Amino acid sequence: MLNCSMVRIHRVSSNSNSSCSLLLKMAAQFMRKVVSNGTPLTRYYSSEVKKVTIIPGDGIGPEISAAVQKIFASAKVPIEWESVDVTPVRNPDGKFGIPQAAIESVNRNKVGLKGPLMTPVGKGHRSLNLALRKEFNLYANVRPCRSLEGYETLYDNVDVVTIRENTEGEYSGIEHEIVDGVVQSIKLITEEASRRVAEFAFVYAKENGRHKVTAVHKANIMRMSDGLFLHCCREAAQKFPDVKFEEKYLDTVCLNMVQDPGQYDVLVMPNLYGDILSDMCAGLVGGLGLTPSGNIGLNGALFESVHGTAPDIAGQDKANPTALLLSGVMMLRYMNLNKHADSIQQACFDTIKEAKYRTGDLGGQAKCSEFTNEICRKVESS
Amino acid sequence: YAGVPVDFEEVQMDPKSESNEDLEYAITSIRRNGVAIKGNIETGSMSRGVISRNVALRNELDLFINVLHCKSYPGVKARHKDIDIIIVRQNTEGEYAMLEHESCYVIVQQSMKVVTSENSERVARYAFEYAKKHGRKKVTTIHKANIMKLSDGLFLETSRKIAADYPEIEHSDMIIDNCCMQLVSNPHQFDVMIMTNLYGTIVSNVVCGLVGGAGLLSGKNYGDHYAIFEPGTRNTGTAIAGKNIANPIAMLNASVDMLEHLGHHYHADIINKAIQKTVNEDCIHTPDLGGQATSIDVVQNIVKYIQQTTKTSNCLNFNAQCRYLKCINIHTYIIISLTIR
Repeated sequence: MLNCSMVRIHRVSSNSNSSCSLLLKMAAQFMRKVVSNGTPLTRYYSSEVKKVTIIPGDGIGPEISAAVQKIFASAKVPIEWESVDVTPVRNPDGKFGIPQAAIESVNRNKVGLKGPLMTPVGKGHRSLNLALRKEFNLYANVRPCRSLEGYETLYDNVDVVTIRENTEGEYSGIEHEIVDGVVQSIKLITEEASRRVAEFAFVYAKENGRHKVTAVHKANIMRMSDGLFLHCCREAAQKFPDVKFEEKYLDTVCLNMVQDPGQYDVLVMPNLYGDILSDMCAGLVGGLGLTPSGNIGLNGALFESVHGTAPDIAGQDKANPTALLLSGVMMLRYMNLNKHADSIQQACFDTIKEAKYRTGDLGGQAKCSEFTNEICRKVESS
Repeated sequence: YAGVPVDFEEVQMDPKSESNEDLEYAITSIRRNGVAIKGNIETGSMSRGVISRNVALRNELDLFINVLHCKSYPGVKARHKDIDIIIVRQNTEGEYAMLEHESCYVIVQQSMKVVTSENSERVARYAFEYAKKHGRKKVTTIHKANIMKLSDGLFLETSRKIAADYPEIEHSDMIIDNCCMQLVSNPHQFDVMIMTNLYGTIVSNVVCGLVGGAGLLSGKNYGDHYAIFEPGTRNTGTAIAGKNIANPIAMLNASVDMLEHLGHHYHADIINKAIQKTVNEDCIHTPDLGGQATSIDVVQNIVKYIQQTTKTSNCLNFNAQCRYLKCINIHTYIIISLTIR
């Protein structure tokens, strides 16, 4: 039974409304500065030490980030961490803003690893995560969900990757109250964004040895919007003839996913369906505490753990660093450090499989540090 | 075989037709009779001007509620046992308002999701009344109000307002992605669920999958004046049409719902018991449930039980031939013909 505190995503903050809107303005400013550096991302081919920005986050964030850094150190990964804090601080001019150092760091390094952030929930402002994604142009969210050997759920043959369009769709944030009691929300689909994510899906499938890409849509009802998305997916499919392509209605996918998840490989879809389906797939394998997530953008990539900050267990050495660790592994693959990625991933899976050191959310008694040390031991001996 | 005192008016709808004649005839017929039972209608045309037939039917007749009672069948193999969830879903607006626009020469599309307080209130009121009538303890509103603050926010606020009128029923809310995650790991925490149109599609399909498949459950569409009964997950099953392997249980359950609605409890009960015996005791399952039986096998088994029951009691001797409002596609369709000698 999964510890519910790990599954929490949305937090109510004690900040006042005005500081929240300031926070968002600062986030947008932060991201604009990041995007302004327009050099395209190239693959890292040299074996020099690379710098990566790490945002520890709130709650259990700092302890799991420390765990990940420790494991990476024992695997001798050629990475130098640059830790930044995105909590607003008072600037010399008296206003609150995200620290300049954080902005410059992400701009420079182009790859980041993020822990859970506390996001205020309320009327009138978009969430911080949403603002980050939009400004950074992180157009695709990738979430591989794989059944973990040793952590049994009712589904044991899950190996699905959900790729979701990350910037528009139902989450465009455009809403109006037309008259009293009638509200409308706009779902925006553009050809550019759909094409980008469709092509990314096929490239990902090809590079990771995946055989099939399924486009999930509801074009029988939303003919124009989902129709456009589907059209872009079909076009991208033609450029990659060796990857199989199929299109399925959202209802069919939901129905089949809970009966036989093994029939799906890579799923590509617009924002809302992606959000729901990726969380559902995470639920099939054991919850958000075990699922990695990566956001790919035009100017870089940000890998993150998607669980909540779990303030009730923060600082007690009880947290499970698996999600952040697997996101780190995704990051290593993105940076072409596949050997290190493989050894860390294997060590992590083996530790969970052996079931000797498992944290509370997986039904065990081990501390976070014990779990981490065991993985380090395995990595060093491999 | 059950001696049901019902006469059917059959309406065919051609999925390939671009015109709305069939649709209008269907609507007139339903307006006349007040009650209908239908399969899912495939709208063959994907062109922008032609609205989805199922949606058009619901909107015209203002069938603002869709109720899906998801109950596990002990005889069907499924990962979760003893699921008993009621899904109450807004049926006419939300994401299925079918209001779409194109800006900038096809490269930008917009689709509008409309939420009104009037419809939200009707849905919430129905859900709580239903819960009260059937002794349900908990109602959960499913939403995404952290992102769609105005639209889903309105829906959530309305259901909270109505919840205040029913203090004996526990009301909670959950975000849709968390809800899906919880459904696949622990569906027993849910009792009655209220939601808008799109989330309703997703959740009802997930729960149908958990129970064992699209072929079992039936959905009820209610409006102030009309009611339509149909298979729960609204799939046309084109791939298996005409092969005698389609699962007729969903349609039969829809017919039982219809009879209950019309007040023919005696007949509804007979058919229902026959269905339960066939699925749970005799375990005659079609391939979608993992069995080997054909559609006709299932129907005949049910007929057998009905005959047994009606022999032992007084039954009226009707000469009724029943066929159902069905969808035609390129192949054939499920015909369930019950005739009475």
